[in-house]
Amino acid sequence: MTEPISRLQAALEAGRFVVTGEIGPPKGTHVEPCLHEAEKYLKDTVTGVNVTDLQTAVMRVGSLAISRLLLERGIEPIFQMVCRDRNRLALQSDLLSAYVLGIRNVLALTGDHVALGDHRQAKSVFDLDSVGLLAAMTRLESGHDMGVDAKGNPNTLDGSPSFFKGCCVTPCAEDLEMQVIKLEKKVAAGAQFVQTQAVYDPAAFEKFVGKIAHLKVPVLVGIVLLKSAGMAKYMNASVPGVTVPDPLIQRLVDASKDDREKVSVEICGELIRAMKGLCRGAHLMTLGWDHCVPAIIQAAGLA
Amino acid sequence: MYPTQLRSTDIAAKPSLVAELMERQWAPCRYNCPVHADVRAYLEHIAQGHWREAIDTIRRHLPFAAVCGRVCHHPCEANCRRRDVDSAVAIRELKRFVAELQGSQGATVQRSARQDGPAVAIVGGGPSGLAAALELAKGGYRPTVFERFGRAGGIPATAIPEYRLPRSVVQVDVDWICAHGVELITGVAVGKDTTIEQLRKEGFKAVLIATGLSSGRGLAIPGAPREGVLGALEFLTDLGLGRRPAIGRDVLVIGGGNVAVDAARSALRLGAAGVRMMCLETREEMPAFEWEQREAEEEGITFIHRRGPAEAIAANGRVVGIKARKVTRVFDENKRFDPRYDDDDLIEVACDTLLIAIGQAADYGFLAGSAVQLDVRGRLNYNAATCQTGVPEVFACGEIVTPPGSVVEACASGQRAARAMDMYLSGRPVVLDDSLPPFIGQIPPETGEKVRKVVRQPVSAQPPEVRRTNLQEVDHNYAESAALREARRCMSCGAGAEVLIDKCAACLTCLRVCPFGIPVVTDVARIDSDRCQSCGICIAECPANAIVSRSREAGWIVRRTVAALEKTRGDGLRIVAYLCGHIATAGQWRGEEPLADGLVEMYLPSLSALGTLDILKAFESGADAVLVVTPQDSAERYPQAVRRLRKRVAQARSLLKDIGLKKSRIQLFELTRPTRQAVGEALLAAAQELRGGAIKPIGASR
Amino acid sequence: MIVGERKPMDEILAMLEPFGRVLVLACGGCVTVCLTGGEKQADELASQLRLAARRKGRQLTVDVDCITRQCDREFVANLKCNPADYDAVLSIACGVGVGFMSELFPAKPFLPGLNTTFYGACTANGIWQEYCYGCGDCVLAWTGGICPIARCSKSLINGACGGTNQGKCEVSRDMDCAWHVIYERLEAAGRLDELRKIRPPRDWRLDRSGGLRRLTHQELVDEEAGK
Repeated sequence: MTEPISRLQAALEAGRFVVTGEIGPPKGTHVEPCLHEAEKYLKDTVTGVNVTDLQTAVMRVGSLAISRLLLERGIEPIFQMVCRDRNRLALQSDLLSAYVLGIRNVLALTGDHVALGDHRQAKSVFDLDSVGLLAAMTRLESGHDMGVDAKGNPNTLDGSPSFFKGCCVTPCAEDLEMQVIKLEKKVAAGAQFVQTQAVYDPAAFEKFVGKIAHLKVPVLVGIVLLKSAGMAKYMNASVPGVTVPDPLIQRLVDASKDDREKVSVEICGELIRAMKGLCRGAHLMTLGWDHCVPAIIQAAGLA
Repeated sequence: MYPTQLRSTDIAAKPSLVAELMERQWAPCRYNCPVHADVRAYLEHIAQGHWREAIDTIRRHLPFAAVCGRVCHHPCEANCRRRDVDSAVAIRELKRFVAELQGSQGATVQRSARQDGPAVAIVGGGPSGLAAALELAKGGYRPTVFERFGRAGGIPATAIPEYRLPRSVVQVDVDWICAHGVELITGVAVGKDTTIEQLRKEGFKAVLIATGLSSGRGLAIPGAPREGVLGALEFLTDLGLGRRPAIGRDVLVIGGGNVAVDAARSALRLGAAGVRMMCLETREEMPAFEWEQREAEEEGITFIHRRGPAEAIAANGRVVGIKARKVTRVFDENKRFDPRYDDDDLIEVACDTLLIAIGQAADYGFLAGSAVQLDVRGRLNYNAATCQTGVPEVFACGEIVTPPGSVVEACASGQRAARAMDMYLSGRPVVLDDSLPPFIGQIPPETGEKVRKVVRQPVSAQPPEVRRTNLQEVDHNYAESAALREARRCMSCGAGAEVLIDKCAACLTCLRVCPFGIPVVTDVARIDSDRCQSCGICIAECPANAIVSRSREAGWIVRRTVAALEKTRGDGLRIVAYLCGHIATAGQWRGEEPLADGLVEMYLPSLSALGTLDILKAFESGADAVLVVTPQDSAERYPQAVRRLRKRVAQARSLLKDIGLKKSRIQLFELTRPTRQAVGEALLAAAQELRGGAIKPIGASR
Repeated sequence: MIVGERKPMDEILAMLEPFGRVLVLACGGCVTVCLTGGEKQADELASQLRLAARRKGRQLTVDVDCITRQCDREFVANLKCNPADYDAVLSIACGVGVGFMSELFPAKPFLPGLNTTFYGACTANGIWQEYCYGCGDCVLAWTGGICPIARCSKSLINGACGGTNQGKCEVSRDMDCAWHVIYERLEAAGRLDELRKIRPPRDWRLDRSGGLRRLTHQELVDEEAGK
């Protein structure tokens, strides 16, 4: 067993309940505001911060750059990589770049289709899928890349990286078995931790956890901060595998405008409490309300 | 199923091939007609109100159109495929309708440009002789018909009663035939007034014997007196020639054929109080036409079956009755006529008149003074293969040499003999080709049940109690509306789709759009002519233009539209209306009853043939707007035709929209009650709106 | 079968702007079967073009011809209209036909009347759907016959992404999630083990990324011929 290569890995291996946050890079070069938010609200509250990679196929500053900038401010990034935009050459190259820039946590994702974003005429790449990307990372770690030399022998790297490799799963998906099978493959390809899509139903989460017990990877349950009833309803309608139960929506409906944030935080905290025992951490997706994170940690009784 | 092997290259090499497609396989009506009249074609003409074209089509093969319209035994109807759907089309009634409507003046006379061939003498002016004469005249020969009676027409003119066949009707046919350059000499009996030898010396290069069976066969009944016993044929002939033969009050007709029934019903009309028929056969075995038997029964004539006369009972030199013995069988195992009797089972039947109708026989008097011989059986020495007697230049036709038959069979026989004589007189060997194209089979039940049922138009008849008192016609003619409706029941067998196998891409479209589920697609599509209903839907939908109609040349709708548009004048909007011809009157079809001013009205046998391309090309040809008028789906001739039409209209609109033309230029009217008035109103309203609106002419087309 | 759709009319009219004599050339192959490029469709297009020209007061002669296929040179012999007699040929064959015929008639503009879209099958009367991508490395053996390259919007090979929503693809509710369908098919057949195997990343050399592809049946190759 090697030494943990990141705080996240160390915390998980130490058995602590880990909380991670998430920021989305800006659409433009003014990176200061999001970096400032991260520094102010996430630096000392969460173990690592996910940096999204052109999420929902919207063009933004790359997650590689922002991850490096977080690192420079003493915040541990979790570098998200999607397979939509780059082929295996670029992905492997960016992995080497990430390592060289000090980044260690990498979350391998398939990536949303261009049809969902703001550049719908763009060409999708998907040279690798999430399983392939994890396998690529594992390969690079072994000192080789995916290519071969002129004689057909595997290339050898002049210095190899080391990553703490993560993947994602949808615990409340309709076709649960399909998710489980894919997760098995991700783990087999090298995934070392899992961050889930948003879960609002502890009972369903428990069922899921039971089904993947054989995989022995730490799972961080994902929770998207419910900023409003409208947002909750939208997620129910449009986001696959994410269901916000009616009672929670009702609480948001009943809350007055001033109280909304408080109720959101409360809900978030309750959920974490409810599911704490089932997993190894929580991944908070605050969608810009990073200032709530300290309060959430309090509400969850994790402070 | 007729194997399809037609290729587009065949048609390119020989464009007339399309017109010949109908000759490759005949509808069963045509096949079974002894003269092979093009029934489908003339029914279509009648359905469209084209009376002249109809009668010309009939007369192309059938000289005795008017006569057959009354008395033909209609093997066409017996084999009409519509029998297996609902009931046969009333072909004979339709023939009667158009033949009598047009008369002899309304039918085109196709005289040969030159009539300078050899002279030919024809002995006997009955159907077979006159049919032969017509063929010979059309072929440029100079035929002279010698008829012993004062009028020509044979049995139809003399021995078929007026109530079945008025003399005037026979005259229509005789006049039309003679107008082709046939010389008719009546009142001359060959064998008595002149001889065959004489005729040959006078310059006739060939002689045709067409004397028929003019005598009734005699029956020697023991004890038969002279008074009160008549031959039925002689009785009918007397009546036919205008005399009034004497009969008693209680008539017994011996015989079961048509002559017997004619004699019985005529006797009734002459005032007999009671008329009975006695025959060897059972009701089912009786050779008389079924409808004749029925009408006789309605008039009060009764039948005594399975009895044959054994002995006459006379008193004072006149018959008062007969003893009749039981018939145990009429036909032997081989279905040959061989009656057996039980002489111990006798009944007595009272009567004061006996009419003997047990068959017809030939009168060989015409042989006197000729070299023509009879054979050992006492019949004319005759070679059926060449129609020649033992003397090479003497031919024979009709019932004198064929089995007894009907008028149309006699015509066929005469035409055949004329062909033989033509070969002989041209110096060619007489080799007759009697081969026929194959015919379309029975309609399979799964197709037949999808055909829309339409009741056969009834023929009204005089009520029996009235008609038995006079010699006026029993059956009334169709009215025009009934004739149109009935003619439109014809399924146009064999006129349907034919696949060009080199162009077919097996795309399956025809299979998918056919309302009857007929095409079978393996390497290419094959359309079974036993099933095809000639709706034209697949032809309009095929993306490869790989299906042609056997009866219509590709682009026929466009050509008609172009021709119609060329006749329009003025600068205003040119509006073309396509209407379902099935609901139109004859006058509308002929363009004599326009529904609305300034509209080009195109009547189609069925709108299912109107394709998207046709609509588009109407615009290309100069239309500024197209209106389509159809009855509702339930009334359309073919299932789902209206639905198909809607899709095509939508598609045509979309294609017009592509090039900036408004959708309102094409309108579809589905009328629940498509009366003339309703149709006219709809068209007029649409035309007014179009003219008053934003629709402009599309621009100079020529 | 190759499926294509007629190009929008304004695009076609713009293409034909410089020309006065045009031959619309149909194809008796795939495009006839999908009712887009058959002789009947050529007749309809020609009719539209003439009408459109007439409306603009423009002189335009449009003729129609069709050959069995536009992807084999021997069928050119069956042309009844000679391309040399026209200013341009508007071919409504698939892109293969347009390109191939263009090589046979290099002096003549061969214009595409269709946008060639996909390889597909007819799933219901009037409806064709994409089934195959032409990826050169068919995986249907272990996907229960359902192609993940053509029918998964992302061409994934290891199972559905997180965007699968009630059996439908995140791109559109009208599209099935191919992996959902594959999963159900394999489950019904008791072959889910195929899904458990990690499928390595595809060899895109077999796809068009590898450049122009070619099929050679050596037994038919004429060594003496130049090509």
